[in-house]
Amino acid sequence: MVVGIKDGAKLFGIAIVCFCAVFVCTFMLNFYLDVTPLRDTVSEELLPLFEAQLSMAQFCSAITGGVLSLTAAVMLLFYLRLYIDAHSAQLGVLKALGYDRARICLGFWVFGLSAFVGCAAGFCGGWAVMRFIYDSLTIEGMGTIAPHFHAELLFALVLAPSVLFSALACVYPYFVLRRPPLELIRGNEKQPKKEKPLPQSKKDRPFLQEMCLSSLRSKKLLAFFASFSSFCFAAMTQMGLSMEELTNAAMSYMILAIGLVLAAVTAILCVAALLRANRKNIALMKAFGYSLKDCALSVLGGYLPCALVGFAVGTLYQYGLLVLMVNVVFAGVESTPTYSFDVPVFFITLAVFLVSYFLLALSFIYKINKVPVKEIMLEE
Amino acid sequence: MIQAKDVTKSYNGTQVLRGISLDVADGDFTVVLGASGSGKSTLLNVLSGLERADGGSVDYDGIRLNALNDKQLTAFRKREVAFIFQLYYLLPHLSVKNNVKLGAALAQNGDYESILAAVGLSDKANANPSTLSGGEQQRVCIARALAKQPKTLFLDEPTGALDEQTGREILDYIIRLQQERRFTMIMVTHNRNIAETANTVITMNSGRIVGLSRNDAPKSAFDIGW
Repeated sequence: MVVGIKDGAKLFGIAIVCFCAVFVCTFMLNFYLDVTPLRDTVSEELLPLFEAQLSMAQFCSAITGGVLSLTAAVMLLFYLRLYIDAHSAQLGVLKALGYDRARICLGFWVFGLSAFVGCAAGFCGGWAVMRFIYDSLTIEGMGTIAPHFHAELLFALVLAPSVLFSALACVYPYFVLRRPPLELIRGNEKQPKKEKPLPQSKKDRPFLQEMCLSSLRSKKLLAFFASFSSFCFAAMTQMGLSMEELTNAAMSYMILAIGLVLAAVTAILCVAALLRANRKNIALMKAFGYSLKDCALSVLGGYLPCALVGFAVGTLYQYGLLVLMVNVVFAGVESTPTYSFDVPVFFITLAVFLVSYFLLALSFIYKINKVPVKEIMLEE
Repeated sequence: MIQAKDVTKSYNGTQVLRGISLDVADGDFTVVLGASGSGKSTLLNVLSGLERADGGSVDYDGIRLNALNDKQLTAFRKREVAFIFQLYYLLPHLSVKNNVKLGAALAQNGDYESILAAVGLSDKANANPSTLSGGEQQRVCIARALAKQPKTLFLDEPTGALDEQTGREILDYIIRLQQERRFTMIMVTHNRNIAETANTVITMNSGRIVGLSRNDAPKSAFDIGW
């Protein structure tokens, strides 16, 4: 099985998501492991703050690590599916030649390398900022805490995820490649087993609206990524800008940067996948005389509500998280600043989000302008 | 009226069209015959505004296609022409009805159901295209193109992917609808027998027109050899 550089480049998104997850978990968990043994040395007075810092480290690692690992796993499944669909004929030929399904699937372990690259880079990145993070988290009166290397973190944050992702990359195709060789060779145009009418729409919608919905229905996973992208943008931008009072400015900017990177990478991957999936439809619409704006609307239009839902959920999530941190984690700590929903930051974030969505749509129009009508219509 | 004058077109230094000149009258059914690589599909693309000629001119009812920018060319295709391709290109996630609406919406034609009836697919309006036979899929393409109410219909080997019987049926549908609605029709094919159904036959070889004939008594799709 051959995984080319182009296929590898598509896995860049998984590496980025893994990087962000491991980056945060590395310094948070390292801090937790270094500071926990000092509990006995902490004075009564500082103990609530000390416990709050430890809870925060656990909390941030669990949330960031959990959500981002799940996203990276979904991304991996998505790209595996794309790869299998694109190389279905070759995989069918291998099966037809008598290669065992399990043996073919073992070749997919290389997809797990993307997770290894991201996790390893995230681990190194976490160590690069470790000193600085310790300085910002250390409680006054406790003295300087030096970061120590914990081999178990290297295992838990780099080696174990890499092995798990490689295993996932082998197991998933094993189920997908159950199809008979001939069906794989024929490609995606598999015939339905029985004539199944498409879901009947209650009303006769205009064509472009119908296209929006069908594009959304045919790529449901991309709807998740569109929502996730705006979720990251809304949650981490607002959190980064609102929590300057709760932590230091550098930490806020780091959260902001992670949110922007995650949102941008997911959005770009989403748009690229949409363009790939709708190339022929766009070419056909262009040939029939639909404008570029109509073509873009027919593909992107259905994803705007998903993105807005993601934005709303992200806003509520960051609000809930900060309220939880202030009222529960730092409950017993004196001089904890109060937190209330930051309305100006919300509107600024919403405005930037809408402008970004518009710019993304423009870049999509620029891309579809380059889709050659004639070549696609004549391809075999 | 379509008028092409000294049209040339090259790909990567290879000249595919070498000074093509022709006139197609309104309501005419023209067949462009030629072997593979003769330039007939390229001619179709240039005449329909899918791509631009390198040299010469293509005038469509007085509009010079070479002079139009991309936006104007899109508007021209929207207003004037429709296509039927050999490989159908139906939108797989839309029902038959919604595939036909792709064409109908451009002409703001609400009566796409009568076109579905004309191609005998009323009962399949809500079916998924992938559940249809090749002949039925091509009939959806015909309905999609005609729903657009084009002045000119361009067809690139419309029966090329079909068996003989289905091919004859599809050709019959197309010819019947063309005679009823009197639109101009330009069909590219390598099947010489199909030429007997047309009013005008253009034969191409190596990017040049090598034959032009008029047929006063076109045959029906069921009267020709295959």
